[in-house]
Amino acid sequence: MEIVRNLWQRKLRSVLTISGILMGIFALTTMGSMAQHFNVLLQGGITYYGNSVQVADENGGTFTSGCMSLSTLDEIRGVDGVAAAFPTVGVVAKPGSSDVVTFGIPDYITNYAPGSGHYSAFKMSLARGTWVTDASRNQVDLGSAFAAEFKKQVGDTIELPVRPGDAKSDFVIHRFTVVGLINRTLTAPDNGAFVSTHDAQTLQGESMPAALRSQVDPYQLVSGVVAYGRPGVNLDALADRITREVPTAKAAKPSTLVQSFKAGGAVFTFITTAAAVLALIIGGLSVVNTMIMSVTERVREIGLKKAIGAKTHHILTEFLAEASLMGLIGGALGFLLGAALTVALDAGDPSGGLFLVTPHLAVLSLGFAIALGAGAGLMPAIRAARMDPVTALRSQ
Amino acid sequence: MPAMRVEGLTKHYGEPPHQVRALAGVDLQIDQGEFVAIVGRSGSGKTTMLDCVGLLMRPTAGRVLLDGVDTGTLNERERAELRSHRIGFIFQEFNLLPTMTAMDNILLPLRYSGGDRKAARTRAEALLNEVGLADRSHHHPTELSGGEQQRIAIARSLINQPTLVLGDEPMGEVDTETASMLLGLMRRINGESQVSFLIVTHDLELASRTDRIIRLRDGHLIDDERLAPEAVTWVTQAGVRR
Ligand SMILES: Nc1ncnc2c1ncn2[C@@H]1O[C@H](COP(=O)(O)OP(=O)(O)O)[C@@H](O)[C@H]1O
Ligand SMILES: [Mg+2]
Repeated sequence: MEIVRNLWQRKLRSVLTISGILMGIFALTTMGSMAQHFNVLLQGGITYYGNSVQVADENGGTFTSGCMSLSTLDEIRGVDGVAAAFPTVGVVAKPGSSDVVTFGIPDYITNYAPGSGHYSAFKMSLARGTWVTDASRNQVDLGSAFAAEFKKQVGDTIELPVRPGDAKSDFVIHRFTVVGLINRTLTAPDNGAFVSTHDAQTLQGESMPAALRSQVDPYQLVSGVVAYGRPGVNLDALADRITREVPTAKAAKPSTLVQSFKAGGAVFTFITTAAAVLALIIGGLSVVNTMIMSVTERVREIGLKKAIGAKTHHILTEFLAEASLMGLIGGALGFLLGAALTVALDAGDPSGGLFLVTPHLAVLSLGFAIALGAGAGLMPAIRAARMDPVTALRSQ
Repeated sequence: MPAMRVEGLTKHYGEPPHQVRALAGVDLQIDQGEFVAIVGRSGSGKTTMLDCVGLLMRPTAGRVLLDGVDTGTLNERERAELRSHRIGFIFQEFNLLPTMTAMDNILLPLRYSGGDRKAARTRAEALLNEVGLADRSHHHPTELSGGEQQRIAIARSLINQPTLVLGDEPMGEVDTETASMLLGLMRRINGESQVSFLIVTHDLELASRTDRIIRLRDGHLIDDERLAPEAVTWVTQAGVRR
């Protein structure tokens, strides 16, 4: 109680100090929630790409849209060590919008391969509705951010791909019925629309340049193949074997992909650390300053307390509690403000948001703020605790 | 057993040649229940003497015995412990904490001594009554006059039931009438509870209303005068004006 009154007594200074901590923790919360978001995003990638082998046409890179012949799929299935392989067929959901910068994953349309969930370490589940099947036509399951962006429920219809503003006259759209909504994964599938392989092939064919379109059968083409290994099979070795044994295929080593995701994660860990250091400097200095003044002003009080029996640890504890309380208040306000800002910003972001405020982050922010207050208050508190009672009592 | 005893109490400040000999070998014994005044000119060593007896400072030489314990052998923790349980302090400037109510100020020593808070609260209420401020327990120091603040400080000094209360010019900041009332209050408490008082004052009129007057000069005890009991009885019966 007394420490609250002590802070109240010196309102202006307390407000300034708490603001210092508040700004620091605010930065930590916003930066931290952004980093959290990306780490979850990257973790999804690590899980997904870590236990599968991505195969593309030998002339196209892993992430380019160079197509592959469907016959290659059967060849890959025949490679020793492959447990299962599924076609992937994907197109962007908003063609022509690539000039719009987004931090997250751009919306995409891809095929849902029934049975692949059994092999993949990355699990998706439905919030409601049913999955599309290979026989489905003009039906779609939507990721959570995709559904939220277009405000779609099960039973609604949606036109895909999304028509760009400067669409050419031959731009084709299809009317899909939403048959299922996918639970939030906090990673890539949130921005996906999942259709049958046949429908995805239709869309892929229509996305090709007109000259090429007339020469190929879209239902004989896939974007790539995902292969899963039998238990115990080294996937890097499997990728090499596929590349070697299937002349038209080029498989990427899972470890290479995982490594690139981890490298991305390190960047965001660095951002959080930088924010924490910022908080440490701004908040820490203001607490140190306030506590030094607080101790100086209360020298007589310290003398009195020692005279009536306060031991060193009593005085130390009292001043540390005061400093920690400032940390806690500044931390709580900074966190709430930061969280509120991220919610407000995310609400206006159609791609499903940039920030992820987790309980873990809340505990981290508050713990950090309290430790910051206590740490910064330590030196002044020790000075107070060691004060000689006679000198303290005689001071003016 | 004497409440307090000092033997050859000596205190030097600083190093030669600028050394100040504040106390130069003082012997003194105060019995349980005695009310003693220390008088002497400014700089004669009164405050130094009280600081040593109150265990706030270690003497250069000599011994301070409280309840028969040689306090020089104790470490700082033990001395703090002894201070909180055996000694009450009253200061010239009251030294109440401005952020606390009168009641909380009186209870402050409990924070460091530990002990039954409920019993202490009952004692605090009795003490507030005793000093005539039962209706002011929720007031803050700024809402009280100097005399009232000192009465709260007296109650605070007694909350842990000490054997000895030390006061360095506790009547130095108030007017003559209030000073007289404060002394009367302390005398009455002393008469009722047998707690010993050692009070510094420069007012000989007030000093003459105690049991005994100790006179210091240049760090030496030069006079130790026990007053006639009749005079004391008269003061005690006069009590405190409320
Ligand atoms: N901390 C100190 N350092 C040096 N000299 C001191 C100190 N405190 C007191 N003195 C000196 O010691 C002598 C006794 O002081 P003090 O005990 O305060 O006397 P009184 O209380 O009787 O006025 C004085 O000469 C004073 O100047
Ligand atoms: Mg003095």
